[in-house]
Amino acid sequence: MSGTAELRDIIITRTYDAPRAEVWKAWTEPARIAAWWGKRGWRTPVESVTLDVRPGGVFRLNSIADADGSEMPVDTIYHEVVPPERLSFGGQPGGRRATVTFRDLGGGRTEMTFTSSIHADAELHARALGGLTSAFDRLAEQLPRPRPEGTFR
Amino acid sequence: MNTDQLTLTFAALADPTRRAILAELRHNGEATVNELAAPFTITVQAVSKHLKVLERAGLIVRGRSAQLRPSRLQGEALKDAADWLADYRGFWEESFDRLGEQLA
Repeated sequence: MSGTAELRDIIITRTYDAPRAEVWKAWTEPARIAAWWGKRGWRTPVESVTLDVRPGGVFRLNSIADADGSEMPVDTIYHEVVPPERLSFGGQPGGRRATVTFRDLGGGRTEMTFTSSIHADAELHARALGGLTSAFDRLAEQLPRPRPEGTFR
Repeated sequence: MNTDQLTLTFAALADPTRRAILAELRHNGEATVNELAAPFTITVQAVSKHLKVLERAGLIVRGRSAQLRPSRLQGEALKDAADWLADYRGFWEESFDRLGEQLA
């Protein structure tokens, strides 16, 4: 039933025109994650960001809506940290988790896959997908631009 | 049974976000407002409003610690709602039996 709150999967795959180390940094450095986290129309103050990137470390930040100041925090701990391949984080043990993996496609390109699940009806699930997609668009925009081939450094 | 309490319970259940919060609490056992404000889905402010409705309906209890106040499910109001629905069990079972007979 589409109106029922049930555990629904969230799986989003994106390819970025940037080396894997850069995409990893975008997730694991406070100033970098603050630049893209949150859907469009939201901002994440860098002061709100704590990234203690190791298993059991805190992954915390707070996004604020430009429109009305409402807040959407992340308040989790890292479960897995395998640089520059894999991060997983979530709430309490046994609770909901999210995993993000980074695959080196060669040629300075990276495939990122975000996997999670939420208890939600169809509408909330769609909202989560939309928000994440918007944030991952913003991530692409703040990655360093690839150098055109043949240019000097 | 207190009818007003039942009204509060069903009113609280009549919202998909609140049902999602209950499902999350059933899964996790306990969760704070921040944990329930799933990234990109529900704001802290919306979660707080929903938790107030659920608490008033007796569907959840919240911890006392001022900062975190973790929420967890409380069974009694759900049991009252289930008992109310169970009064109609005879009706739906009979309907399905009749449907079965027609299909046989």
